[in-house]
Amino acid sequence: MPGGKSIMPKWVRCPQDFVGGLVLMGVAVFALWASSDLHGMHGFSFGAGTAPRIFATLLLGLGAVVMIVGIVNDGPGVAHYSWRGPLFVSLGIVFFAMAIRPLGLVISGLASFLISALGSHETRWVEAIIVGVCLTIGCALLFPYVLGLPMPLFPRFIVQ
Amino acid sequence: MSDLFHNLVLGFGVAVSPINLLLCLIGALVGTLVGVLPGIGTIATVAMLLPITFGLPPVGALIMLAGIYYGAQYGGSTTSILVNIPGEATSVVTTLDGFQMAKQGRAGPALAIAAIGSFIAGCAATVLIAVLGAPLTKLALAFGPAEYFSLMVLGLIFAVVLAKGSVLKAIAMIVLGLLLSMVGSDIETGASRMAFNIPELADGLGFATVAMGVFGFAEIIRNLDHGAEMDRQLVQQKITGLMPTRKDMLDSLPAIFRGTVLGSILGILPGGGAVIASFAAYTFEKKIAREPARFGRGAIEGVAAPESANNAAAQTSFIPLLTLGIPPNAVMALMVGAMTIHGIVPGPQVMQKQPDLVWGMIASMWIGNLMLIIINLPLVGIWVRLLRVPYRLMFPSIVVFCAIGIYSINNAPVDVVLAGTFGLIGYWLIKHEFEPAPLLLGMVLGPLMEENLRRALLISRGDWSVFITRPLSAVLMAAAAGLLVLAVLPTLRKKRDEVFVESES
Repeated sequence: MPGGKSIMPKWVRCPQDFVGGLVLMGVAVFALWASSDLHGMHGFSFGAGTAPRIFATLLLGLGAVVMIVGIVNDGPGVAHYSWRGPLFVSLGIVFFAMAIRPLGLVISGLASFLISALGSHETRWVEAIIVGVCLTIGCALLFPYVLGLPMPLFPRFIVQ
Repeated sequence: MSDLFHNLVLGFGVAVSPINLLLCLIGALVGTLVGVLPGIGTIATVAMLLPITFGLPPVGALIMLAGIYYGAQYGGSTTSILVNIPGEATSVVTTLDGFQMAKQGRAGPALAIAAIGSFIAGCAATVLIAVLGAPLTKLALAFGPAEYFSLMVLGLIFAVVLAKGSVLKAIAMIVLGLLLSMVGSDIETGASRMAFNIPELADGLGFATVAMGVFGFAEIIRNLDHGAEMDRQLVQQKITGLMPTRKDMLDSLPAIFRGTVLGSILGILPGGGAVIASFAAYTFEKKIAREPARFGRGAIEGVAAPESANNAAAQTSFIPLLTLGIPPNAVMALMVGAMTIHGIVPGPQVMQKQPDLVWGMIASMWIGNLMLIIINLPLVGIWVRLLRVPYRLMFPSIVVFCAIGIYSINNAPVDVVLAGTFGLIGYWLIKHEFEPAPLLLGMVLGPLMEENLRRALLISRGDWSVFITRPLSAVLMAAAAGLLVLAVLPTLRKKRDEVFVESES
């Protein structure tokens, strides 16, 4: 990493792969722990836990190799993460999940549109609201009516 | 031979029913529409539009999905030519000469040749599927569990070797996908595996949920990194003269045929067939051209060959899916997901038990390609205007549309949160240069591989050597091992990197 500051020790020559491999190993160890209560081989036949343990062990090994490659070979550092996009897009998604049942498609759709729109500093609010309203109306017609997929449109307390 | 004819007649009989024609048309149009929007690739398009096919009968749903698929590909090449942004990896090489042509005010002929080439390639591939379908299905029926397992290993290795980027990291992604597919109930014992008593996980991670997360949401989050206003060199000139001249046609026809042949062969092979096909076709054209210097400066062959090749490959890649039940790439993996939702298990049995389904879909591909050529050329103006929709308005729309789509699959809010989580995971994977496509492939093949591995070992009474003592399986395993060794060898790696580097220069 020329010029940039890195929290990685000097002997890590490709932090991108080093961290990547490390995280994969972590996932593998977690999977091994999570499947430890399952039965293993039973004579010739596989138990419920056999295949997950095979795949997790493979992943552990591969993660280790990726990590070692990250130590030995030169490569890019860990890329810069921005916080604004991921945060607001996630918030929009989570809000939709929480609101769809109690508040219905119309309110939760428009609200999560506006929340995710916060993810970019270039958003202009007047046009965003207009587009959001149009999109919500479109979806409210498309999914329940045209496609016949049942979902609540309006808040529960108004309908009842 | 009469069998072949009979099958095609049956297929067209199904595909030309008014409702299926309409679904094919809607699929192709919607696919193009979403495929044109910058920042959404083919896989994301298919994943996003998956839920809208749920309410349909199985044949109609598959016809529409196939339409969305090649429509999205067509849309991808449109953006390659007009704005220098490839819709997907398969149309990366199209940008080289296509965008140059557009700059010279010849966007019309470039788009037309791309469509005509795709159509000719599509015709050839449709016939090829019909010819190869039946014999391969017979072969598939001779396969035992050991052969199936070995074939899937070979397919995954192919996918890794042909894909862009690090082989090692791609294999790691496949294994991660296999591991994720283990979540949920065990098929044989019914034991809950790594589900942590969350009822929504008892059925396993939804395939569409993961796909929409790592392709839809993750792509949005990543695009926002660069600021919503992406760098778009939109061709501002008016597009005049849509139809290619006589000379254009004469120049590109041979290239179209060469691209079709190359693409058809590469598409049947499991792995990222369509991507490598377009690269191979372009490189081949450049090699045999009398003036190679013209390439990269708006040579029409440089558009015709790769566009024909990728369409041929995209269609022949249905062959392994329909005959063997093994998806050769991530889009086909999504098709498996769609089929499973409709209660169809892809594989040789489908060909025999539901011939109308398979042949109807094959025939609809031909019709769909014809529709694309007729409808899309006059609509180019609209697609260009679509490109002016700013990303700041598009991304929240995609978020909401995807969220509603995921919710509608199971009416489960938890699925939406899971997709969001996979969006963040996908963002992390992109940052560490792990490709999400192999992960998806591993996730689809996971349960199949486990089942066949279990059966093979049960039949062989626990003897692991069964994979190398059965001749057919041994050949497949040897091919997989050979490929892997070749891929890791430094000389070939260098060659392979060159092919990809060329596209980025």
